[in-house]
Amino acid sequence: MAPLRPPPPLNNSKKRKEAPTNSQPNAPKRHKPTDHGQKTRDARTLSTQTTSKAFKNGELDVSAFVKSRAFEITALEEGMARSKKALNRRAFQQVPKELRRRTASHNVKRVPKRLRERGKREMADDNTPTVTARRRKPTAHMRLRLETVKKLRALGAKRNAGKDRVKPPVADPNGAAPKNPADSAPDQQQPVKTLAAIKARTPKVKQSLLATPPLPKAKFRKRQIHKSWLPTHLFHAKRARMTAPSASLWRFSIPLTPTAKSYRPTHRASHARGAVAWDMSYISTLQVEGREASLIGMLKALGVDEEELVGRQGGKWRQGRRVLEKFVFEREAPHDPIAPVTMMWCRDPAEQSAGTVEMEKRKRKLLLRVHPSAFYQLWEELLRLAKVAKPAVSVEDLRFEIGSLEITGPGGTEALLSALWPSHPIPGPLAKGDTAPTAMDIDSGSSNKNTVVEETWSALAGLTNPAVLPKNALLSFNVQDPRLHHPPRTIKLPRTETEQHKLLELIASWPVDTVQQHPELFDRKARQAASAKMPSQKAVNRRKGLAAPGEYPEPLPNDPQIPVLLYTTAPTNPDRGAPGRQSPKAGSWTLLVPWKCLQPIWYSLMYYPLSTGQQPRFGGLDQYRQSSFEAGKAWFPGDYPGTKAGWEWEYAERRKREAEWRKRPKGKRVNYKKVEVGEGGRGEVGVGWGCDWERLVGGPPVSHEGVEAAADAEKSGKSGDKSAKGVKTKAQEESQEPPQQAPPKLPHLTQLPARQALALLATPPTTTIKLPPHIHLPSALITIRLTLLTRGVPQPCARIYRLPSSTANPELRRQWLALLSSNTRNHTQKHGGKHAHPRNLPKTGHGLPQHVVQQRLAQSLLEPARAGEETYPACPGEEDLVGFVTTGSYDLAAGFGTGIGSLLVERVMGREEAGERHLCVVRNSGTGVARLGRWEVI
Amino acid sequence: MVRIKHRYLLVNILYPDAKHSQLAPATKPGDNVPYTVQFRRPSPDQMNGGLLMRLIRDGVVELFGDYGSGKIAGSLQVVKYFSSATSTAIIRVSREHYRLVWSALTFTTRLPRPVDQPCVFQVVRVSGTIRKAEEEAIRRARLSIRRAEAAAKSSSVSIAGTASTTPTAVAAGEDDFDMIHGIEDPDEPGDMDVDDDG
Repeated sequence: MAPLRPPPPLNNSKKRKEAPTNSQPNAPKRHKPTDHGQKTRDARTLSTQTTSKAFKNGELDVSAFVKSRAFEITALEEGMARSKKALNRRAFQQVPKELRRRTASHNVKRVPKRLRERGKREMADDNTPTVTARRRKPTAHMRLRLETVKKLRALGAKRNAGKDRVKPPVADPNGAAPKNPADSAPDQQQPVKTLAAIKARTPKVKQSLLATPPLPKAKFRKRQIHKSWLPTHLFHAKRARMTAPSASLWRFSIPLTPTAKSYRPTHRASHARGAVAWDMSYISTLQVEGREASLIGMLKALGVDEEELVGRQGGKWRQGRRVLEKFVFEREAPHDPIAPVTMMWCRDPAEQSAGTVEMEKRKRKLLLRVHPSAFYQLWEELLRLAKVAKPAVSVEDLRFEIGSLEITGPGGTEALLSALWPSHPIPGPLAKGDTAPTAMDIDSGSSNKNTVVEETWSALAGLTNPAVLPKNALLSFNVQDPRLHHPPRTIKLPRTETEQHKLLELIASWPVDTVQQHPELFDRKARQAASAKMPSQKAVNRRKGLAAPGEYPEPLPNDPQIPVLLYTTAPTNPDRGAPGRQSPKAGSWTLLVPWKCLQPIWYSLMYYPLSTGQQPRFGGLDQYRQSSFEAGKAWFPGDYPGTKAGWEWEYAERRKREAEWRKRPKGKRVNYKKVEVGEGGRGEVGVGWGCDWERLVGGPPVSHEGVEAAADAEKSGKSGDKSAKGVKTKAQEESQEPPQQAPPKLPHLTQLPARQALALLATPPTTTIKLPPHIHLPSALITIRLTLLTRGVPQPCARIYRLPSSTANPELRRQWLALLSSNTRNHTQKHGGKHAHPRNLPKTGHGLPQHVVQQRLAQSLLEPARAGEETYPACPGEEDLVGFVTTGSYDLAAGFGTGIGSLLVERVMGREEAGERHLCVVRNSGTGVARLGRWEVI
Repeated sequence: MVRIKHRYLLVNILYPDAKHSQLAPATKPGDNVPYTVQFRRPSPDQMNGGLLMRLIRDGVVELFGDYGSGKIAGSLQVVKYFSSATSTAIIRVSREHYRLVWSALTFTTRLPRPVDQPCVFQVVRVSGTIRKAEEEAIRRARLSIRRAEAAAKSSSVSIAGTASTTPTAVAAGEDDFDMIHGIEDPDEPGDMDVDDDG
């Protein structure tokens, strides 16, 4: 500390010195790009003397000679030290991306061990302020909290002391239960055994009642008042951006995206190498129980196709060997779509032995999984149906009882295999490291019938794509506590060809289908037993400590047997209209486990060292949407605006985008009123920050003034004039104030399933369409996937237009089709970006020879118009608007921009002419350039 | 990725004939300045990195033609270090073609036009890293200091002023007497190590 200090600056709050400010007051504000090489270059330049320094009065002299050499020595030495330092990076900068930690710059313990010594030295050299939490001076806010804690502790101690004084007669460990167990902490309930001896009444399971979230620990209770945490919340909260505390999503705190950059790594891990896992515990689970016939009747009422339910196709599903995912609809007249629901039957152990009469009479269980945004809708619907069902059906809410996770990517199976050790000891590769059991082994009676599923599961090592397995295959077995085998080790994978052949044989024969094993996950008692028996981490550690070095602890008969249910999901692969796209058919595993058992499994998964290096990644909601987008699948609820949940989602998104837009200063945001929407029209169609379905279905708003109404009528008569529209949009925009609650969904807006949509589109326009009477055709949406044929990337909210009809605007139509004819020739060239068109001729100039000018002219005549040129076709008018893009971006799997959106089916029906199948024009919201695209129903 | 590899040549410029020097001292050589100092005299101020570069390029063109100049054109860099006060340079060239540069330097007998002075280029060290070349330059500078001082002492010139500035030279001291008038550098490594202790 120097005694003489400079006068304190006005703003004295900053601890470190400020960077030197530019002394010139009128310095140009233009930001110059930082030259990162300059520092290195400076450090490497060696200083030299001039010749004159080596002379003395212009003469050679020994002393001058010696001095110049001495200077050289110091210069070189200094230069060496300098360049060494310039290249030098701090220890915490040298760790790979995934090991970087925010606090590593001031906490040595955050860098890997091998760099820790160096880091310590560097911090000492640099005088880095290092403060440990213990020695930190608490902030004012923190101090208040600490004081409160102190006070509360004192109070609690006093209270406990008082209780102890009262207690002694009851505190006998062998005595009766404490009189008021509600008061005592749960860990103080010692006499559990005696309770068990008395055999308390097991609480009756309340059916048709919404489940309440599990009571969190007191420490975390205040944070879960209006939402609940996923079982892996603590893991994710450290590593991911979660939903804001005030704005929980579907009453859950859900990870949105990892803190680390992960767009491309997620794509790579799920397609090429690695694995991506999601905690999907927020997906709601329901159980309905009753006779098979009444359950199937219930599903039929929910609008599931009859052939799926009772036909041969659904045979395996009804036996509980496969899962089925179907879109369900409301039972009442408008038959509003609800959500896609995954359904699985509980396999019945006594299936074959029983007679047909008994078969019909026995009660069966059906598990339904639905997205939480549509849970209440489905729940209400199910309750209503259960009331009228005969014989009775009971509905049970298993929301906080069954958790789930999803894992995809080539390493996913491997990671799951290492986390899920079957409870029954089996002579598999996991237990003994011997050769895998063959399909023949498993099939034949040599192995125990009871362990077929476990053996099959263990023999799946080496499987890289779950989609190879029988479609929607279901596996259910019991597993051990994964903490006993933590940290996980890389499992043995098949290397030889014979082993791989065995795996293929196993997949082909799929012996799991022959066994009759009751999946215990459906059993409440089994679920609760597994959750209750989970030993504490302390007990697990003790057992691990007792095990021989390098060995896992022996399984004990008292260990929890965690019932799990695994099923595969393969992307449905309809006929892809877009050519040149190889569909990524990577399947994924979904794992259902009791809620409380999910967390240890999750940790085992996350720390599994994959055989291809690295560990499985985790994803948030954004990654889930990305992966379904890349697979060409629509994501519920975002891509289903025809459902109630999708409508609410769209509304929330719209508000978010609007807030984002309003936040920007006027000069820097898109002026939606001035956007050129084609043919001289100005002003975005509907609201610019949303997919304006109201506008699409209802048409442009009709104003009250007679003059404008007349103009409107005139406009609808001849499509060219659109001057009135801009004015109206303005008026509408100004009057619109965003209400807090989502407005009710448009009354008739509905989402058609793909099959119905395809049937509608296939009918020739001349024939009358027979439709179910409830479908209101003018507001029926179909979900589509979109590829752009020329260039461009569709963004969310992009407007989709059909080609203008050949009667109304033949010229524009011809122009758009001209783009198509020149572009479909070569698909690979089409998406080549800037280099797609061979524009390698020199630009126009004065000195160009005649033949070059002619060549250019000829080429420009042959080439299609490009965006921005005069001849580029304008966007069609609003009467040709057919839909909006709900998800759109550059698609890493396809290699060009694609999108998922919805169209009004009535507007595209019968508009097809030969050779222009499903063509459309897409214009991003707020831009004037439209692109030619092609859509297909999904 | 394949790493691009270079060689660093440490080059000394020697001036064996003092008579032709424009900067020659008025007195006759050997009078009061030891020969070792004259021999390693500073280069004239016009001599700089750019000139050295031109010299090498011309030399390579003369010896190896367009082929040679094309080969070295991409990697040749003199600016790594050139000190005219001590007539030392460090030249960088790609590993495959450093021989072309070396031979061009060896065949040079005169500095080009603006200087126009007879000289000898001596490549004293070829190394893979600039660091080693720099270390060698330091070692050689120490050695020549020692020699100059020893020569000055023997020719009864007072070097009291210089001795204090370079304590390392004093420490090495007496052993170098037999090399005072030696023109050639002892390039055997063993010999060097003995000298280098100080």
